[in-house]
Amino acid sequence: VGNFPGITVDVLEAEVELPGGERARIVDLPGTYSLRAGVDPESDEGVARRYIDSAREGPGRVLVAQVLDSTNLALNLRLTEELRAMGLPLLVLATQRDVLESEGRRLNVSAFEAALGVPVLWVSARERTTRATVLEALRASTQDRVPTPLPRPLDVAQVARAALGTPALVRSGGSGGVDGRLKLFRRTARLDRVLMHPFLGPLAFLGLMAGLFTLVLLAAAPASLLIGKAVDLLAGQIHRALGPGILSGLLCEGVLSGAGTVLQFLPQIVLLTVALELVEASGYLARGAYLVDRLLRLFGLGGRSFVPLLMGHACAVPAITATRSIRDPRQRLRTLLVIPLTTCSARIPAYVLLIATFFPTLGALAKALVFLSLYVLGLLSTAVASLIIGAARERNAPRPLFVLELPPYRAPQPAQVARTAWRGGMHFVKEVGTVIVAVSAVLYILLSVPVVKAPPVPPPPGAPARTVLMSRSAAAWVGRALEPLSRPLGFDWRVNVGLIGAFGAREVMVSTMGVIFGIENAKDAPVSDLSSQIRGAKGPDGRPAYPLASGLALLAFFVLACQCMSTVAALRRETKGWRWPLFVVGYSYAGAYLAALVVFKGASALGLG
Amino acid sequence: MPARIVGFRLDPHEASWLEAVGLSCGGQVTVLRKALFGGPLHIRTGEGGEFAVDRTLASHVDVTPLSGLEAP
Repeated sequence: VGNFPGITVDVLEAEVELPGGERARIVDLPGTYSLRAGVDPESDEGVARRYIDSAREGPGRVLVAQVLDSTNLALNLRLTEELRAMGLPLLVLATQRDVLESEGRRLNVSAFEAALGVPVLWVSARERTTRATVLEALRASTQDRVPTPLPRPLDVAQVARAALGTPALVRSGGSGGVDGRLKLFRRTARLDRVLMHPFLGPLAFLGLMAGLFTLVLLAAAPASLLIGKAVDLLAGQIHRALGPGILSGLLCEGVLSGAGTVLQFLPQIVLLTVALELVEASGYLARGAYLVDRLLRLFGLGGRSFVPLLMGHACAVPAITATRSIRDPRQRLRTLLVIPLTTCSARIPAYVLLIATFFPTLGALAKALVFLSLYVLGLLSTAVASLIIGAARERNAPRPLFVLELPPYRAPQPAQVARTAWRGGMHFVKEVGTVIVAVSAVLYILLSVPVVKAPPVPPPPGAPARTVLMSRSAAAWVGRALEPLSRPLGFDWRVNVGLIGAFGAREVMVSTMGVIFGIENAKDAPVSDLSSQIRGAKGPDGRPAYPLASGLALLAFFVLACQCMSTVAALRRETKGWRWPLFVVGYSYAGAYLAALVVFKGASALGLG
Repeated sequence: MPARIVGFRLDPHEASWLEAVGLSCGGQVTVLRKALFGGPLHIRTGEGGEFAVDRTLASHVDVTPLSGLEAP
């Protein structure tokens, strides 16, 4: 139906059974306005065009179904004319029937079919019966022949007028007759007067985004606490049922201390997904792109980079796919290279743990503000990285085009929002249930099997037997081997083990620390307050192992490092090679190390060491 | 105030994008607002679609104001 934020940028496929039992493969292509206008072949519109071209050559019967917005017919009819000329059977699916009817208007389907010379179905995607109706129409249309060429070019405005007729009047409360279409325009115009105002608009946008993120974090806290208590309860039950031993240790101090700790961040991730979906589905996201276009241009990005960058705050992987909507290849690559610096939801567990550990006396609101400042740091690092990359690669490059549809404001569909939240939550639970459980269990074993007779730095006198055992383990050996590199940052072997675990997925850092301190502090019953355990940890000299300077350095490291293999894989897919993914890993880790070093030395000089 | 597009000073590739969204010669366009500091324009086409358009790009589109009788 178009090409604006919220529209598919990927090729999505599904196999369905048509009425009558025949099977068909349905392919959802990215939105486009034209097949003739020049596009970058790697952009979403280029992908759509390539797919249609290859489908014409491929085996089997192919039917093109154009989904168009019946409230904005003229905009979509140019594409209809181009599709008609392609020599494939065509079915037009005009959507938004409910919206058009609520405006007191109807689509004259027979007049529309006569003007286009192809079958037309007028539907509302919100109705349950629509699926069956569309499948039946698809079945019938696959038997159709290629449409005959039109005698003359379509006058899109005239066809749209003929199909929609004269707007009817609808009653609106006691205020008299009001044209429904006009009402929608007026509502959008009223909202835009404030939200798109040259001064108020950017302020409202920044306020809304900051408020949204703060609200998500504050609202999620009680639910996180509940999950934490449930994990504790379960660990206690297992411990009592199995008694002390290898299995109980593996389950309680390994799996539950690790994966259970990460699971506590499910509410934040689900709420953040809901918040971003609401902004996207309402039509406001496209306005955000308009509002920040000038600002982003200062950093060599642009309005079309905004949506992937904002999506990156939930997860970098779909955000990397979303860069396909950026038409300019240089701007797209630049956006791809800086997306891993945005504060994705996987950073949340590490940030929450570190804030709770190193700022224990702050209230909930103050903690949320520290959190927000980490988001701001993420944005700043994104901007600086983009400037540096641009200065190195793109001197005197022409300015990219920016044309973006601003759809009318619409109420988000609760079912769609719920589906997105469910998908986001399930993805996280699946990762916790597979990768993080496995890593936690392996780490527990690596921390429990001794490989050295005597550690180079023995644990403090009087340390529990488990701590002594752990200090001789394989994981501790690797962590200690890296200490010459990490000591200038204030990190000891335990943090090193956490950072190694976090190389593939940053949230593993929390589970790793959970396992390490779970083992170290395991008593009669497991304790889940990881932050107080880390705060109370002692170094070999008996002094606190992690002063505030170490905590700040660790935060700086997490702001910059690209600790996500899924992101690296997505970058490889989109850039078709290893050059750029390796560049991102290299520059982000180098930047993270340097930033942590500067922060640790600076904070130590200020007496925070 | 609405205006009629009378010409483009753009290369065909750039002009093709504008035509695809309804900004073609003879078409109507209204500038609704301008973002600060040389930011994009918020425009409405004669067909009712609304778009954000880069200001430099827009400055290469020639328009003539519509008289009261011509305006919708």
